[in-house]
Amino acid sequence: MPTRDEKDRVALLQGTLDLLILRTLLFGAQHGQGIARAIQLQSDDELLVDHGSLYPALQRLENQGWISAAWGTSENNRKARFYQLTKTGRKHLAHETSQWGRLSAAIARVLNGQKAEG
Amino acid sequence: MFWQRKRKEADFKNEISAHLELEIERLCEQGMSRAEAEAKAHREFGNVLQAEERFHESSHWMLLEHLLRDITYALRVFARNPGFTLVAVVSLALGIGVNALIFSAVNAIVLRPLPVENPGQLVFLENGMFNAGQSFPNYRELRDHNQVFNGTLGYRVTQIELESNHGTATRTWGYLATGNYFDVLGVQPAMGRFFHQEDDLHEGGSPYAVLSYGSWQSRFAGDRDIVGKIIRINRQPYTVIGVAGRDFHGTEVFYWPEVWVPMMMQAQIEPGNSWLDEPATFNTWVIGRLKPGITVDQATANLNTIAAELARSNPKVNEGLTFHLARPGLVGDALGAPVRAFSFGVLLLAALVLLTACANLASMLAARAADRQREIAIRLSIGATRGRVIRQLLTETLVLSVLGGACGYGLATLLSRTLSAWRAPLDFPVQFDVTPDWRVFCFAATISAIAGILFGLAPARHAARTDSNAVLKGETSGFQGHRLALRDVLVVVQVALCFVLVSACLLSLRGLQKSLSMHLGFEPQGVTMAAFDLGLAGYSEERGRAFQQRALDALSRLPGVQSAAYSNSVPLSIDQSHTSIYPEEQSDLHASTAPLAIRYQVSPHYFETLGIRVLAGRDFTWHDDAQSPPVAVINQAFARQILRTENAVGKRFRGGPGGKLWEVVAVVETGKYMSPTEPDTPVLFIPELQQYNTTTTMLVRSSLSQREMTEKIRQTLAQLDPQLPLFGTGGLDQVLRFAFFPLHAAVIALSSFGVLAIVLALTGIHGLVAYGVARRVREIGIRVAIGAAPRQVVKLVLSKTFYLLGLGTVIGFALSLAAGRLLEAVVYGSVRDPLVLAGVCLTMLVLGLISSWAPTRRALRIEPTVALRYE
Repeated sequence: MPTRDEKDRVALLQGTLDLLILRTLLFGAQHGQGIARAIQLQSDDELLVDHGSLYPALQRLENQGWISAAWGTSENNRKARFYQLTKTGRKHLAHETSQWGRLSAAIARVLNGQKAEG
Repeated sequence: MFWQRKRKEADFKNEISAHLELEIERLCEQGMSRAEAEAKAHREFGNVLQAEERFHESSHWMLLEHLLRDITYALRVFARNPGFTLVAVVSLALGIGVNALIFSAVNAIVLRPLPVENPGQLVFLENGMFNAGQSFPNYRELRDHNQVFNGTLGYRVTQIELESNHGTATRTWGYLATGNYFDVLGVQPAMGRFFHQEDDLHEGGSPYAVLSYGSWQSRFAGDRDIVGKIIRINRQPYTVIGVAGRDFHGTEVFYWPEVWVPMMMQAQIEPGNSWLDEPATFNTWVIGRLKPGITVDQATANLNTIAAELARSNPKVNEGLTFHLARPGLVGDALGAPVRAFSFGVLLLAALVLLTACANLASMLAARAADRQREIAIRLSIGATRGRVIRQLLTETLVLSVLGGACGYGLATLLSRTLSAWRAPLDFPVQFDVTPDWRVFCFAATISAIAGILFGLAPARHAARTDSNAVLKGETSGFQGHRLALRDVLVVVQVALCFVLVSACLLSLRGLQKSLSMHLGFEPQGVTMAAFDLGLAGYSEERGRAFQQRALDALSRLPGVQSAAYSNSVPLSIDQSHTSIYPEEQSDLHASTAPLAIRYQVSPHYFETLGIRVLAGRDFTWHDDAQSPPVAVINQAFARQILRTENAVGKRFRGGPGGKLWEVVAVVETGKYMSPTEPDTPVLFIPELQQYNTTTTMLVRSSLSQREMTEKIRQTLAQLDPQLPLFGTGGLDQVLRFAFFPLHAAVIALSSFGVLAIVLALTGIHGLVAYGVARRVREIGIRVAIGAAPRQVVKLVLSKTFYLLGLGTVIGFALSLAAGRLLEAVVYGSVRDPLVLAGVCLTMLVLGLISSWAPTRRALRIEPTVALRYE
């Protein structure tokens, strides 16, 4: 699989990493490396997930009670810590997703409007 | 649970290495070599250590960990500067301790409710005409006809002769209380039972006694079987039915009674003065318990409709009667309002002292902050946030203030224990329970925190402005001008506050000095006294008169006695009676408009014995008795204010019980009778032989020492009646102790404050000058090197200090003029008194000299060669 050069990738906006993690976990339990992979794949390699900030973020979400974690084994028989959405995490995700939708639509409207004038 | 959710850091590490393994495996699958894959995986992950650090900081314990680290660091900083720490902690301990102590007194007297059920519902009934007391017939009407109280109790502070289990009788103080007293208050006995309404129905029919806890312990040795026993009160048998709780001291916060007796025993407890059915004797204090939902205004309105009816049915004594409700505990507002005002005034003064201490420490800390600029600049430049640095500095000051607060609270607890055990020098059980409770603790904790933040803010603000680049390059300018302005203001404030406190202190001392030379209208020196109550001891009038005569004869014959007399009371003692005076021709004696005079019943030779000058006329003789026409001696104020004449001898007026017609036989000088500050007050002396009184004070003027004379009086009276309890024995100057008690208290309190303020101002000015010198060592060195004389160096160091001192003095003078009005009520003088003014100014000057002595010497010893290599 080709990997793009890191310079081309878009760095994540602050606060959006949490949202993407929760969204990824919607499809089932996953470990950290898997989450990072999944985000990268689903964004067609557009987004760069800084592995160094991924784990503190996971810890933060766990402290908030939005995800829970347990050690388990990966598909290739390695020990890994698997994360799972909790009930409140699911609610939070729904709320945040709609917020994000409104925010990005609004920003897009503003940016497009400016283009039309210019 | 909270702490169980915390993950181990090792677990987090494992997770990261698991991630790296997975990533390496994936990369190997894509065809990389193991070494390449490992390198790439690590590169992609970034800084593992940083991730671990961020994990660490995301934990709940981070704040606490920072706090602990800050506290440890603060303690290390303090250990390095023991001198500074000691000064800071001591001045804070003094400031906070004084505040906690005074607050615990205010708490005991004003804030803490009575230890009864729902104290907020209780109201004290005041009477618009005669203040605290109500007549007992009026009390009955009020109790039975009001619609706003759930219960209305009446009581009376009274003397009681109580015989302990050893058989020794003592004149003590207690309460006559209506039967519903304990039930309305809702208190529980420690032992036995309290009396109830049905125990108090018939006059003379309820010889029951409830002992106070203290009295049970001290007079009856805590006898477990006391309930049901017969004790002797006023030489009559009474049954002890119960013992009150240890914390219950009746319904006045300052008065600790020893015994409660049902009100219907009034005639037995106060023999010869039965007033339960007397509409003109306003002796009953009344407390009501408001019904739930009834406001004080509603209650007052209801009571005043009753007052209007009382005035209609008995206009002679009740005309113009109105009621007013006050907080119970301090005899209503008559005593309560001034006591509350005074307490808060003193509390304000204490706050000023603490403010001075804070200003002081803020200025010292500001100086240190300037010295620590390098440290702070380094910490900022290696990545500390400004918030973090400010938190560190605030933690330091809070640690200081908590240390100071703890010491201060300990000090206050110690002192308040002493104060609680102390009893006023009075023949009256004045005592306060000022031991600190939770309120005092919260108060001390709060002011410690406020103080810490208050004096910590300046250095913290400083730190927030630090420009680390400039500081590290050695440029300390930028905010220097600003900082000096702030410090100057602090010193001026401090000097001004010190001026106010010192002038208050000197003012009270001046009052004390004046009081020593004050003309009281009698000569207490050389007079010894002893009092007894023949009524309480069961003497009839006839036997009592005979006893008085025999006692006086026996005392007059003692060797060394120059003159002896007796009277019902002496000037400036707590026991003063008033009587209405009417013109000779008026037969209808109507109370409300008549002028009042203080009345003494005295024997012949009274004036001679007390050293009261007779201005005109003759002394009483043994022939001025019940068989001869009534005669009176008046003082000059009586002649001028009531009779409106200078030649009063021979004039006549009506007054006293029954409105007898008295003829003036002498005029004596005007003295002081109620308090040393009173204006001239009319006084009437009548012969005890014509108007018997059971309370008798024997007065002896002699050349013997007080101790010797007291002992002789004791022995002489014991030969006449070995059972008779004496009180008030000792020199007549004991009444001065009582009369000047408020002044003495003010002197002690204000002197302590003054000394405290001086100590604080000393350290404050010292800190300022020392700091100024330390900052200017280089400059002074250069000046000395190019030829400055010592005089010029001193001028350089001190000119500003003395300028600030002068400014502070001027402001302080203005402030003390404003505050003087408040003080003049307690101490006898004015701030404008030139002696006081000169004293304060001198004190400030000496203060300035002493506090700047050491730093100035340091400035003079600066060696240019050393100074220029400084830093």
